[in-house]
Amino acid sequence: MPTVLIPTPLRPHCGGQSSAEAAGATVGEVLESLTAQHPGLRQHLFNEQGKLRSFVNIYLNDDDIRYLDKEASAVTAADTLTIVPSIAGGRA
Amino acid sequence: MLNLLAEPWGVIVSHARACYPRECCGILLGTAAEGDVRTVTTAVACVNAYQGEQSDRFELDPKDQFEAQRAARRQGLEVLGFFHSHPDCDAYFSATDLANSWPWYSNLVVSVRGGEVSHARAFRANDNQTASTEEELRCPQS
Ligand SMILES: [Zn+2]
Repeated sequence: MPTVLIPTPLRPHCGGQSSAEAAGATVGEVLESLTAQHPGLRQHLFNEQGKLRSFVNIYLNDDDIRYLDKEASAVTAADTLTIVPSIAGGRA
Repeated sequence: MLNLLAEPWGVIVSHARACYPRECCGILLGTAAEGDVRTVTTAVACVNAYQGEQSDRFELDPKDQFEAQRAARRQGLEVLGFFHSHPDCDAYFSATDLANSWPWYSNLVVSVRGGEVSHARAFRANDNQTASTEEELRCPQS
């Protein structure tokens, strides 16, 4: 099964694990089965419309899925997904 | 408590001065111990990826964060949080900083006045980024 690497802030919602295995043939399916196993993760990854939140970047192995097929990007059992938080700011 | 060792603090100060009058940003790696003491052993200076006027905005490139996460895992460290500077402005956690933050992480803000580092403060956001609390900061200058 593909492996998903979990950033520290989300580990409490994922049984304290730093990585998890989740089934699926696309990035979307893997994240879907991950949040089915760990429902507390859902609100951090998806908005009310069920779309990936803009605060969340997903890497498939070394590549940002924005530059692949986004959530439809194909995943094999040997692949690793990494959840990368978006961080920004401003003075105001 | 956020405890900054001399070497990463030096990296942060140099980066903040070099980027002035633009905001600088970067990533804090280290160890999180019992009792909520976080020790920053490495600061990674990053490019400000904000597309626009950078005197009062910053954005981390997700690629830099991805690489930092990978480096942290390999070295048995944690991504403890992030740093950025406020040129000619105090070190506070603004509404924009809060809205674009994540829970758990330490957010170090460095005030730079006239090109020199004035002071620094650290903050953590709550679970839904509606409020932040100041975190005790220990750095070589203070
Ligand atoms: Zn700021």
